[in-house]
Amino acid sequence: MAPPEDSSQPRLAAGCRWGVEKEKESKPGSKTERVILYPEGALRLRDTGLLILEHCDGQRTFGEIIAELQAKFGDADPEKIRTDIGQFLEQLRHKRIVDY
Amino acid sequence: MMIPNPLALIAEITHRCPLHCVYCSNPLELAAASAEMSTTEWIAVFQQAAHLGMLHAHFTGGEPLARPDLTELIAGARAAGLYTNLITSGIGLAEARLQALAGAGLDHIQISFQDSREEAANWIAGAKAHAHKVELSRLIRQHKIAFTVNLVVHRQNIGHIEEMIAFIEQLAPDRMEIAHTQYYGWALRNRAALLPTLAQLEKAVETVAAAEKRLAGRIRIDSVVPDYYARFPKACMGGWGRRLMLINPTGKVLPCHAAEVIPGLEFENVRRQTLEFIWKESPSFQRFRGEEWMPEPCRSCDQRAEDFGGCRCQALLLTGNATATDPACSLAPAHYIIEDTLAEANSSAAVSRPVSAASFVQLQQRAGNLWSYRTNPE
Repeated sequence: MAPPEDSSQPRLAAGCRWGVEKEKESKPGSKTERVILYPEGALRLRDTGLLILEHCDGQRTFGEIIAELQAKFGDADPEKIRTDIGQFLEQLRHKRIVDY
Repeated sequence: MMIPNPLALIAEITHRCPLHCVYCSNPLELAAASAEMSTTEWIAVFQQAAHLGMLHAHFTGGEPLARPDLTELIAGARAAGLYTNLITSGIGLAEARLQALAGAGLDHIQISFQDSREEAANWIAGAKAHAHKVELSRLIRQHKIAFTVNLVVHRQNIGHIEEMIAFIEQLAPDRMEIAHTQYYGWALRNRAALLPTLAQLEKAVETVAAAEKRLAGRIRIDSVVPDYYARFPKACMGGWGRRLMLINPTGKVLPCHAAEVIPGLEFENVRRQTLEFIWKESPSFQRFRGEEWMPEPCRSCDQRAEDFGGCRCQALLLTGNATATDPACSLAPAHYIIEDTLAEANSSAAVSRPVSAASFVQLQQRAGNLWSYRTNPE
């Protein structure tokens, strides 16, 4: 097991897809959250996790995703961005939520 | 108290089934086909479920394929916005129907295997199902449906778990679920023949850990130590009335599969009440929700937000009192019941299975004293 190669195209694994979760208590004007639905559960996503997975569309390569996010978070260390995202995707591959 | 939304619906769409598994979790009293809810009734339920915030619909039974309208039901649940999971034996599923289910938007399919060895598998299921399931697994992989193989483990097959994992591996599922038999319904009746020994269990845990490592990134393995051998009880259903609603074939709404064994509880029917009312207001869903009902040692225990006092049905079945701490808990006053059962399981020689016979009926007759089998509703 290793993080993605620059040329690989990360995507949601078979049986995983985007869904919407309502806020805990349903009340007027309550917000919804994007989640990834998988066979026995759902992954709640916010902020950077959400952003990373929205880029994993099976089209963009890992190299392209990294470049885009490095540009977006110009203040942070580009190497750290690469390692963090690589590890994040590797963990999700273990759980069979992401494939690359 | 704030009541969170339920997350998933377990749709027990029929109790009919071609199998007769000795550990079936269906109630001993099954619902007849004529009393089952209609297609439109179920689809309205899925819409209510999604509206209430649920994310998943798990189609189960009995055998869901026994419903000719299964494709419509899957399509209805998908259209309502739910993730659809079909839990099936695969009996009655040929290429054309699988294609239709995939077209209806089926997200995930789960097939249970009883063993890697055909004869043993057919014996446990009480039907010649094994070869068909192997064939079906190949078909499934030709579609864009996620595939989980569930393996039910017990005293009779745990000895060759390594062989069973290798067998599942070549079926190439995305996930492998290693499920130890849980002792309710038919399995409780057959417990002496199903409960593994400690030595069997320890060896199996090691084997599973090694397989998990070997298959990482290819097949995800989900496995849980059976509660009889655990220190703390399982958080049954993620807590009573916290996450799940089960609807039986006739529309009765239950907090879990076995809840009907608990005396004094009355369950609402989705034919007469809305799901939202049942979730938020019904006495049955409130009965063991939260911590008010808890006895000691649960009430002051640090684990209470983890396991919610364990399983109410198991407490009832083993102690006669549904509000007792689950005896599977090492801190429970009634834990001696589990200890005695384990002592017996670990002292007796392995319960033998009768050698093969010409027919299943013959086998059943021969083993009549040892095993109980579910039979079908009309």
